[in-house]
Amino acid sequence: MFTLPLDVLLVFMVASPVVGRVASKRGYRKVQGIYALLSLFAVAYFLYGLYNEVAEYNIVLIVGQLPFKPPLEACLQIDMFGVFMAFLYVIIGLFAIAYSIKFMECESGLSEYYTLVLGMIAGMTGIVFSGDFFTLFVFWELMCLTSYALVSFRKHKWEPIEAGFKYIIMSAAGSATILLSMSFLYGMTGTLNFAALSSRLTNPVSDGWLYMTLVLVIVGFGIKTAIVPFHTWLPDAHSAAPSPISAMLSGVMVQTGACALIRVLLLVFGSVQPAWQMTLVFLAVFTMFGGNFMALLQNDIKRLLAFSTIAHMGYILFGFAIVSHQGLTASLFHIMNHAIMKTLLFLCAGGFIYRTGTQDLRKLEGIRGAMPVTSILLAVGAVAIAAVPPLGGFWSEWMIVSAGIEAGMLLFSVLMVLNMLLSITYYLRLVYTINLKEPTSISEKATEAPVLLLIPVLILALLCIFIGIYPGPFVAWAQKAAEAILGM
Amino acid sequence: MGVDRSRVAGLTIIVLAFLILLILIMNYDFPAFEYTGSHTEPTAELVKNNTAVIGPEVGRFLWNYRVIDLIAQAFVLFAAAVCCLALLKTEEKKG
Amino acid sequence: MIPLSYYVWCAVALYLIGMYCLVSKRNMIKLVMGLEILVNAAHLNFIAFSAYRRAGFIDPFGHSIVIMSIVLTGCVTALALTIVTYAYKHYQTLDVRKLRRLKW
Repeated sequence: MFTLPLDVLLVFMVASPVVGRVASKRGYRKVQGIYALLSLFAVAYFLYGLYNEVAEYNIVLIVGQLPFKPPLEACLQIDMFGVFMAFLYVIIGLFAIAYSIKFMECESGLSEYYTLVLGMIAGMTGIVFSGDFFTLFVFWELMCLTSYALVSFRKHKWEPIEAGFKYIIMSAAGSATILLSMSFLYGMTGTLNFAALSSRLTNPVSDGWLYMTLVLVIVGFGIKTAIVPFHTWLPDAHSAAPSPISAMLSGVMVQTGACALIRVLLLVFGSVQPAWQMTLVFLAVFTMFGGNFMALLQNDIKRLLAFSTIAHMGYILFGFAIVSHQGLTASLFHIMNHAIMKTLLFLCAGGFIYRTGTQDLRKLEGIRGAMPVTSILLAVGAVAIAAVPPLGGFWSEWMIVSAGIEAGMLLFSVLMVLNMLLSITYYLRLVYTINLKEPTSISEKATEAPVLLLIPVLILALLCIFIGIYPGPFVAWAQKAAEAILGM
Repeated sequence: MGVDRSRVAGLTIIVLAFLILLILIMNYDFPAFEYTGSHTEPTAELVKNNTAVIGPEVGRFLWNYRVIDLIAQAFVLFAAAVCCLALLKTEEKKG
Repeated sequence: MIPLSYYVWCAVALYLIGMYCLVSKRNMIKLVMGLEILVNAAHLNFIAFSAYRRAGFIDPFGHSIVIMSIVLTGCVTALALTIVTYAYKHYQTLDVRKLRRLKW
């Protein structure tokens, strides 16, 4: 079928509702979560085997039926970039599922929840593994469908349904735009295979239609990547979703949109690179400013974190738009760092919500007295993501800025440094509000979060500190992944 | 009055976009299949334009060439069914 | 045969109609219909190109993409209508302008 990790993930996803039904009939509700956790461990093991294979052969090409070859045949083209992102998905998925075993225990419909989380991870893995544009689209739809249902999961309240409706309309319009751009590419070249498209479109004679297709691709993928004019679904969806799902959405799903965008732009539109490079740089700067300015005005902890995700997507897109080896390495390393730090922040916020039932920062003031461990871990995450030196965020953001300076984009690098300084204000405001203010009546009544919620958060914080102190091997891996995208 | 004005504005923008795109598309011909490369792909896969034959031939094409997409799509259908179940299921809360 | 540009213009016109529908209609079910119109623009494009590959022949690649894409769109529509059902239960109206409780 497909490669072994993806196969295993999909088979476990299909078996998950059966396990869930049997477990809930017998009364063991936690078994479903433990089953999902074990399946992700199995996928991680097989992914390590795939990593060894890709490290040896550079590209692994999976074709459906052997006598029929690309460019007409659908294929999976797995390189080091795909394995890098797939590992990130599996690790963030592990933390999110471990957290949801305790967090979601009172919800109904748990067997569907774990099935959909496994399905979302499978869709994201398929996107970075695919070698054909339509295969990417099918896995893109798998990821999108599961995320629509996961955002609207708590259907008995009005907020997830409103956020989910806005999200599904905007995101499905983005998918339709991607499909239209695919139709134009098929009309021009007769195939949708990435390798064939890149070799056939190297010197196009008439550029006009290629520019129109480029606009459609940027709009289509940009809606999912939360580029600033199209980002309006993100704060609502990320604050209305359950906390472990918010962590997965902010941490890895938005970045998958950016990865698919850069993959398509580099492979298919290489001939018009100056056009999309400057467009992407301007869009990245707008996204940074938009995200940071809106985050300054928020009083809801999850909306603040969601706008901060938009700002970081701006940094990542800026790194991608500097189409150099250093720029891509810095962006991939920042994707990894941001995923870990943002997951940590969302899971801590989930701990507060679990104990107090409110998301409002003004009511959560001074909760450090009642929930010391969660508050300190939130402070660690906020300090790391604000790019304070010894922790992880500083290294990756500084690498993006230095890659920008080396490529000659001095003005935009200065703007990015301004944005980093601007973002320190609201992260420090978050830490100050949670830790140093006087407790309100709501925050006095809280108790410390349960141990099962604290264990994944603690491991994430330790990982955060570890990457900050010893970034070497992670940067080296990001470098190999960047070489794979650039085709070096 | 405000709603009517914005509606008129929206309709005007759309009609203008229609006309501009009509002029542009008719003047700049679409480069249909100009970049097909060196014809290394099997052009024998083209099917004669005969309504009785197209159905089975496209089915054969799907199974021979697009099997990865078909199997992935089966999983998407399963996930869509599970999504609708997750949203429509009403269980009694066990408290 | 009719020149290919006519079909391409029809597809772009359908896309514009779909976008107009998404932006200006108030009924939630009409918004879901707008999504379908958007996707059908791309389908028309695929079929038109597969017919113009060579005179007298069709390219089965375009048709197979459309078959698979119709199924995917159907899944998204089913899920969207489920969410509309719940939105009606919460707000007792199908008017999307009433879904304004989530501000900036």
